[in-house]
Amino acid sequence: MSADFTSTTAPHSQAPGTEAQAMPGGNAIVFDNVSMTFPDGTEGLKDVDLAIAPGEFVSIVGPSGCGKSTLLKVASGLVTHTGGKVWVDRDQLGYTFQDATLLPWRKVQDNVELLMELRGFPPAERARIAREKIDLVGLTGFENHYPQRLSGGMKMRVSLARSLALNPAVFMFDEPFGALDEITRERLNDEVIDLYQREQFTGIFVTHSIPEAVYMSSKVVVMSARPGRIQEVFDVPFAYPRRPEMRYQADFSELCGEVSLSLRRAIEG
Amino acid sequence: MPDTLAQNAAPANAARGTARKANIEAHSAVPIPTPPGLAHKLLTSLVPPILAGILVILLYAMVRSSLPPHRQFLMPSAQGLWDLAFAVPGFVPELLSRSVTTMAIAVTGLALSISFGCLMGIVMFRFLFLEKAIFPYLVVLQSVPVLAIVPLIQSALGFGFMPKVLIVALFTFFAVPTTLLLGLKSVDKNILNLFKLQGATWRTTLIKACLPSAGPTLFAGFSISGSLAVIAAITSELFFLSGEGGLGQLLMNSKIDFKYEQMYAALIAASVLSIAVYLFFKWLGNRLFSHWHEASEKRQ
Ligand SMILES: Nc1ncnc2c1ncn2[C@@H]1O[C@H](COP(=O)(O)OP(=O)(O)O)[C@@H](O)[C@H]1O
Ligand SMILES: [Mg+2]
Repeated sequence: MSADFTSTTAPHSQAPGTEAQAMPGGNAIVFDNVSMTFPDGTEGLKDVDLAIAPGEFVSIVGPSGCGKSTLLKVASGLVTHTGGKVWVDRDQLGYTFQDATLLPWRKVQDNVELLMELRGFPPAERARIAREKIDLVGLTGFENHYPQRLSGGMKMRVSLARSLALNPAVFMFDEPFGALDEITRERLNDEVIDLYQREQFTGIFVTHSIPEAVYMSSKVVVMSARPGRIQEVFDVPFAYPRRPEMRYQADFSELCGEVSLSLRRAIEG
Repeated sequence: MPDTLAQNAAPANAARGTARKANIEAHSAVPIPTPPGLAHKLLTSLVPPILAGILVILLYAMVRSSLPPHRQFLMPSAQGLWDLAFAVPGFVPELLSRSVTTMAIAVTGLALSISFGCLMGIVMFRFLFLEKAIFPYLVVLQSVPVLAIVPLIQSALGFGFMPKVLIVALFTFFAVPTTLLLGLKSVDKNILNLFKLQGATWRTTLIKACLPSAGPTLFAGFSISGSLAVIAAITSELFFLSGEGGLGQLLMNSKIDFKYEQMYAALIAASVLSIAVYLFFKWLGNRLFSHWHEASEKRQ
């Protein structure tokens, strides 16, 4: 996978667009003193420093409204930050939103083909890759269903398959399973871990569930209340593949407790 | 019938003397309903409108019979409608050819509205300053009483086909750009983000995300416009009595000649046309959207 690292900065300090530049420290994503102030004066992010190594799976937890989504939007280029620098390979980017964001007028197959279509893949290749990814998320047989007829968990799987089709180097998840019931959520946690190990992407996973964050990731980042900054980073020592039994181990609960305390401090300021 | 069971539960509470008096009943199941057959479906969907229709006809007959005889010409009887209108030699072909004329005006005007309206909706969606510039005047246009400016239109365009088409367009225009703009604007923000992340152009985003998403709303607009089109065409004809005209002209002529039966026949033809246009858009909307859009889905 060829890395095409680009950095973007605030419009006033540099021409808009991208600039090839050496990546600091061999990381996949670097936030260097990044701030984001919205036009209405809201400070979404302030002086965020964060480095994510290639192949890491980082979860981000923080009080609601602290700027977690903004962090992903800045990293992906959906919004441009107003201070500092971001390094990231945006060429093959996976992104899932809180809801599955499927096009309701397209069948599952055509939804999974969408991003490839926008990238100009030839139809035959598109169809082949889509079938492969649909199979990967366990939805073979549902290719011709419209999203309306699928359950919440199945819609989310379609959304994952759609992103996987681009073979993402970096995969961003913005509270993807927040709206699902716990059983579906835990199953999808395992499926995402499987996909992560199989496809070898770098993951950033925003969630408001601490056990989910600890279970999924190699690092948990706690953000402070608005304006969002990095409060604390926890290394998760457990090896992949993670197994559901892990949720009931003492050291797992202990780490969850530590993250929870840190989050509490973040909310209290 | 639910039968009450003797209760033997809650010994702990009973021991403490705090047990609430329970009235436990057995609730029986109902068998799985068999799916309704075609005959049943037809019955449930056809009987209500037929009954309502019969009711209306009865009411009509009652009102008619209460009129003094010299005023009964205002409400022709079925016999009269047949004898003096439909059975008159040459009347039905005339009615048909006039319907075609009226339909041509309505459809051309509607086509004009829809094409210009869609264009305007898209342009307003693309450029905010154009929306700000155009939208207030759309509302102004809608508030102009079209009938009042018919003489102006006649002076400008004469008495042919085009002025009538223009009147239809004026009647039916408003709903098209406004519903399209509303639909285009209410596309899911994250769908737009998805397209943005792939560097999709505005045109691609419009075609693959915004327009499909706006479709059902736009079709609601089409139905409103469509149901106005035939009425608008007939109204336009009321002002143009020369030459071989449509149903509107027949309405006027038969009124002048006191052929009220023929006037009623023309009215019936007009409603049939209106209903046909409405049903057409309903059918097309259903075909296009029912597989993914909740509201256009057929009720089970
Ligand atoms: N486009 C915007 N304009 C102004 N303020 C915004 C905008 N987007 C987000 N914000 C504000 O920035 C803060 C962070 O938002 P967000 O990143 O969505 O938080 P969360 O951590 O819940 O995902 C919130 O207070 C939000 O109201
Ligand atoms: Mg958020």
